[in-house]
Amino acid sequence: MEKSEFHFYPNPKFRRLRGYAFDPSISLKLDTSSVNLVEYKIKWEKIEVGPVGEYIEVIDFDPTIGQFYKAVDLDHPNVLSQHGLDPSESNPLFHQQMVYAVSMTTIERFEKALGRKILWSSRLLNRDKGNPEYAQYVKCLRIYPHAIRDANAYYSPQKKAILFGYFLANPIEDSIMMPGSMVFTCLSHDIIAHEVTHAILDGMHRSYSEATNPDVLAFHEAFADIVALFQHFTFPDVLAHQISKTRGDLLNENLLAQLANQFGDAIGFYGSLRDAIGKVNVKTKKWEAHQPSPMDYLTVFEPHKRGSILVAAIFEAFNNIYRLRVADLLRIASNGSGILPLGEIHPDLVKRLSIEASKTASHIMNMCIRALDYCPPVDITFGDYLRAIITADLELVPEDPYNYRLSFIDAFRRRGIYPNGIKNLSNESLRHPIHENLGKSGQGIDSDSDDLFRIIAEFLTDYADAIKYTSNRKEIYEITKDYISGKYEDEDGIDLESKKRILGLHRRIEVKFNKSPEFSKLTGLVFGSDYHLLGIKTSKKGNYKGAAFQIQNLRLVSRTGPDGNQLNQVVFSIIQTSRYKIVDGSFLPIPSDESESKNHSLFRGGCTLIFDLDSKKLKYAISKPLIGFGEIFSDNYKIDEKRLKAEYDFQSDMVEKVESEYSRYFGSKEAKLNEPFSFLHQH
Amino acid sequence: MSSPKQKISHVEVRMFKLGTGDCFVIKFFSGQSTSFKLMIDAGCWSGDSDKISPYIMALKEYVQNQIDLLVITHEHKDHVHAFDVCQKLFTKDFTINEIWMGWSENDDDPRVSDWKREFGEKKKALFKITKKLKSINEDPETRSQLSFEKGGDELFSIKENFLASLSAFSNLHFDDDPVGYKGLLKGMEVVKKLGKSGGVINFRTPGEIIEKKVNLPGVRFYILGPPSVWEEVKKEKGKKGESYEHNNDLPINEGFSAAALALDSLDKSNLCPFNPKYAADNKVESYKNQDNYWRNIDNDWLNSSGMLALRINSKTNNLSLAIAIEFEESGKVLLFPGDAEFGSWESWHKINWGVKSRTCKGYLTTEELLNRTVLYKVAHHLSHNGTAKKIGLDMMTNSELVAMATLDYHNISSHWKSTMPNMAIIDDLLGKTKGRLLVLNERDVPYDRKKNIQLTDEIIRHRLTMSEDERNSFIENLNSDNPLFIQFRIEV
Repeated sequence: MEKSEFHFYPNPKFRRLRGYAFDPSISLKLDTSSVNLVEYKIKWEKIEVGPVGEYIEVIDFDPTIGQFYKAVDLDHPNVLSQHGLDPSESNPLFHQQMVYAVSMTTIERFEKALGRKILWSSRLLNRDKGNPEYAQYVKCLRIYPHAIRDANAYYSPQKKAILFGYFLANPIEDSIMMPGSMVFTCLSHDIIAHEVTHAILDGMHRSYSEATNPDVLAFHEAFADIVALFQHFTFPDVLAHQISKTRGDLLNENLLAQLANQFGDAIGFYGSLRDAIGKVNVKTKKWEAHQPSPMDYLTVFEPHKRGSILVAAIFEAFNNIYRLRVADLLRIASNGSGILPLGEIHPDLVKRLSIEASKTASHIMNMCIRALDYCPPVDITFGDYLRAIITADLELVPEDPYNYRLSFIDAFRRRGIYPNGIKNLSNESLRHPIHENLGKSGQGIDSDSDDLFRIIAEFLTDYADAIKYTSNRKEIYEITKDYISGKYEDEDGIDLESKKRILGLHRRIEVKFNKSPEFSKLTGLVFGSDYHLLGIKTSKKGNYKGAAFQIQNLRLVSRTGPDGNQLNQVVFSIIQTSRYKIVDGSFLPIPSDESESKNHSLFRGGCTLIFDLDSKKLKYAISKPLIGFGEIFSDNYKIDEKRLKAEYDFQSDMVEKVESEYSRYFGSKEAKLNEPFSFLHQH
Repeated sequence: MSSPKQKISHVEVRMFKLGTGDCFVIKFFSGQSTSFKLMIDAGCWSGDSDKISPYIMALKEYVQNQIDLLVITHEHKDHVHAFDVCQKLFTKDFTINEIWMGWSENDDDPRVSDWKREFGEKKKALFKITKKLKSINEDPETRSQLSFEKGGDELFSIKENFLASLSAFSNLHFDDDPVGYKGLLKGMEVVKKLGKSGGVINFRTPGEIIEKKVNLPGVRFYILGPPSVWEEVKKEKGKKGESYEHNNDLPINEGFSAAALALDSLDKSNLCPFNPKYAADNKVESYKNQDNYWRNIDNDWLNSSGMLALRINSKTNNLSLAIAIEFEESGKVLLFPGDAEFGSWESWHKINWGVKSRTCKGYLTTEELLNRTVLYKVAHHLSHNGTAKKIGLDMMTNSELVAMATLDYHNISSHWKSTMPNMAIIDDLLGKTKGRLLVLNERDVPYDRKKNIQLTDEIIRHRLTMSEDERNSFIENLNSDNPLFIQFRIEV
């Protein structure tokens, strides 16, 4: 057979690539070296030298010395046949393979949980410069494995790129690590997964990079850590090894709950950089478990450290569920006592415990990722996230025999994290209120609005149909854009026939809900004529003249629950921005027609609307209102001064609370120049 | 000045108002006659000869063109700049009998010269990067490229601000292009020459106690810093509660400064972290493509320089020659720490002075010296990193304490304003001194930026807490009418 007749062979399902489960340092320790090498199993895709695939583009350029490195060809038979290059610190081609493998693993994890393709955040353009579009599709995330000479790595939302650093190790003691050895952040599973998660989250919730309250950036960090952490549980050998080592008790010191070991060692920590369950005490050099304290949530503001509170809460929830799931196994293995005899535990038990741990971790990760669809689009707090987790899970998994939800609530409570505005902590009150069957009763949505929502829901069903069977990401992007902004002409600028025209969602909301107090009540945003009182810009499009707003993140949520129940929802977010100044301690709106200026402060409100396609109804409206509570029923809307004041105070206090020596000298925005989403807040 | 002097009765501490920066003369009197003239530093943030000369001329007149001892605390412009721009005034008609510098300035010490060469390289790296970033920002292409993006204009102004802060750091260490860098600021060079031509330079090490029995009977100089241990020079912060700030402490990034130094060199292969066989000759197509320029990263790595600048700055501050001047009879202490940061303060407490304590049976401790301090020259212009808390200010318990701070909002790098003054230090100082905090120029110095409270108002408020006697004596001893200086007199 000719070489060119490859089409006789079907594409493989997976590409197997060898890599580190953690980072190179684990391979150097006797007790862990055996489990550090894993095979990443990535969905087969056509890739070019780089590697460059559908989602990521690895470019190995080292600007610090102006050098490009040779790029790996993962399709080369010698590479394919042995499942990738040998793991090696000194071979940059392996570095490229490693970032590709871990990035793709992380991306697949998200797609599996979300049930749809992920898109990177689009490039936003300055319209004043004559750009025809304000947003541009970004196909590939760029990955630069050797971009900076610094003990750091970061995702740049502006360049849609991840920049990995390398540096000389400076361990606290020479026995921990060879001083002066080179450490590459792009070889750390945790750092790669963490940064890719930042990028994915930015693609879903762009506003989460704005520090509007102490939780927002901390959430970004925590979420990235959670993904990196729970991905450890997908490596069967590592899992079995650590379960055997801890005798099944994952609250003991173990690799699974640690992040960035080599990195931590190299910059002079004892052990890993971050640890969900404990830390080596600097004085005694012994490992100690963390005790949750509600004080932390009140006093810790640096995003990574504050994020650790959330990570610890999630890990605790995980551990409680895992313990519940394995209680019977432990009883069986211990003749009913539940207390294991001394010594090593039986390999069969290890295997069974591993299965449970892995299953639980996978559930937890799915819950954490899916909750993103039920979060408000701006100004997220840990409490909002808890509500999102509960709501998302109730939607998909009505029965909860292992008390997953309660475990979450309990772990948050133990850390003093409570959502605003709920009366008590229970599944019912944490779940967002459902906007069902409110039609004719005096409360809630009136029947006119209900009709309008039904029309919107039907439109969204069209969207769902259009997108359901599209697997091309660019097409998904384009179709989604058309359904938001409308489509009236074809690519060549010729008017479409009326059947093919799409009246966009943005336009529909303008037309249908303009001056609708009901819709304002529901979203907390201003659609009436009072918008200028709140400093909202005027939007003029065609015949419409009214409050400006943005529609973000239109997406299809189509999932199947464990009981076979099918979820068919379309979700989108509306964001509205108030421009203001504080004069003598009070809110002064900027006139709606005034152009942008540096001196304006921005205050965003937003609402995530979730439509159920089966009932053609609006199901949830998850809102961060612009309009103050209590003002919503009055005729003159006023800004939500409580939230605004809190945001304003937080932002002006940031220097004292969050900021470092570095930002004191260089300015807080300037400090973000090289660390918007960096792995380590090093300054 | 040859005959033995009477005991010292009082001192006048005169702080010259050159701008943010130190320039002090301390005159020691015995009764009406001057026994000894000590000068500490002559620097300020910036200013040319025209601007600074009047102060130096006034200083010369005040000391009648002669100084018994000149102390140079450290090599930062805000401490030695005047020697540079007013070089002639110092070399002509001016006599300095003796100069003191920290042991770390002794170029004959091989340990020092090795370290200085290395440290000098780092400073050079900082300078090179500053220059490079400047040329990038000045390139119109940079701006137009960015303005294409949403928020790009704002990003550009952020880059400009970053560069300005970086330049501020760089300028502290360099007068101009360091191509022929000799390891010295010009001001420092001038002082070292002064030492060679006339007075003798003595390099001081911590733990020394020096007496000038002839001219200054009953006065002792305790040398506190710079620390003799390099680790402490490198340390700028303490643990929580010990200093006013708490931050991770990372070492200078060697790999980074090496690459920075090689910015202009053509062959960088020795810096490559991999075997040269992995080097590719050609650029990747999509990186070359102009449509993708917005995603390229040629210069992003240069932003790591902020860290380098901070480290260099702190290290130089920690090399400050810090002295405590004690008056035997009253036990009063004047504390001049230069710009010492936490590592230095910490090291002072490890010094074994080997002399008896005045207050208890054992030996004298640094804590006791701090307890007896009646005048504190606030380190580093009231910033958070100059004054240690638990092992510093908290130990200054003397009820007569007066503080002098060399901060001037009308002559300061705008990028220092966010750290100077630090509210927590101001609070402590005002409480301890009952408002006897003398700031070089109070005007427009904020106390609470958010609530828009001026420092002056806070000082006035605290001065109300003085008793009548305290207030009378404070007013009597203070001379703040002269535009060129502020002076405080202390009975010793």
